Amino acid sequence: MYMPVFPPILVLYALATSVVCLTPRPSGNTLVARWVIEKNCTVRVNGRTNVNTFSCSVPGYSNPDTINCYKSNGKDVSVTLSGRMALPVNSFDCGNGIMTNDLRKTLKAKEYPVLNIDFLSLQRFPLLQATQEAITGVVNIELAGVTKRVEVNYQVSMDEQKIIHLTGTQCIYFSDFHLTPPRKLGGMIRTDDKLDVLFTIHCKMIAL
Amino acid sequence: MKRILLPGLVAGLLLFTISYGGLYIAIKCFPALFVEYNNPLFNSDGSRDLLFYSHAFIISLALSWFWERFKSLFKGYFIVRGIEFGLVYALVAFVPVMWITFSSLDITFVMVASWFLYGLCQSVIAGIVFAKMNP
Repeated sequence: MYMPVFPPILVLYALATSVVCLTPRPSGNTLVARWVIEKNCTVRVNGRTNVNTFSCSVPGYSNPDTINCYKSNGKDVSVTLSGRMALPVNSFDCGNGIMTNDLRKTLKAKEYPVLNIDFLSLQRFPLLQATQEAITGVVNIELAGVTKRVEVNYQVSMDEQKIIHLTGTQCIYFSDFHLTPPRKLGGMIRTDDKLDVLFTIHCKMIAL
Repeated sequence: MKRILLPGLVAGLLLFTISYGGLYIAIKCFPALFVEYNNPLFNSDGSRDLLFYSHAFIISLALSWFWERFKSLFKGYFIVRGIEFGLVYALVAFVPVMWITFSSLDITFVMVASWFLYGLCQSVIAGIVFAKMNP
């Protein structure tokens, strides 16, 4: 019996080729660095209610994601990035089971289990020195099915082991992501709309 | 009907003011006591706010009917009758409800005790109003 072996292989090859071609690579830019995200990265969210403050974090994020840095071939000194951190929303821990469950419910963890941070650009390529350097950048934050582009203030440094440390801070609002801050007892206990997000990423530069 | 409705509404207005005013002040003065309410057990989207704020009228109208049926059992000065009424209601209604609530939900004893005291104060205040308006 004739088995059409080749056509499926060709289709698979064509699909694989198209996936590679569709991988974001800014046109006219040169790949200048590739940073592999190391273990023990953290993302922390600080917020407050009218009765307390809370601090929830995803400790020990360890997905081996890669951030690619592209430089423009022109005079533009900004750096285009491609790379993503995908954080399981259920990993958020507020150090208090009740607060943790409330945050996960507010962030609709069951419907949208992953918080994505897409790195888009840096104001310039960092000097990568021992002292911290302040740089701004742009990321897309995808939360509860809504994506918002935000500017992030980074502190970048590199230690003796050639590990790059990126600390980013930015305030975001529940309402930016069409989320309603929790309110209890007829609104007498309210959570502020504003959240301070702080993420610390440790990367290793790999050879191109 | 008038003997139930009017005292019920008056008590409802009074309870509304005292209960929610007291709750507001308590949250301002003792915020730590209310941290436990940041719990998914409690409605958080505001969809039941009307039900929450109408509670003062629900309990006062129900207590007004209860008073009309059993007021002959409470003797003495109107304040004493009101306090006794409140204590009886708290013992009959709140103790068993709080017992099953505490035993089945993941909430603290302090929270349940505060609900008991809140209900006791409400029923005593309502009792005093009923004893004065509908002796």
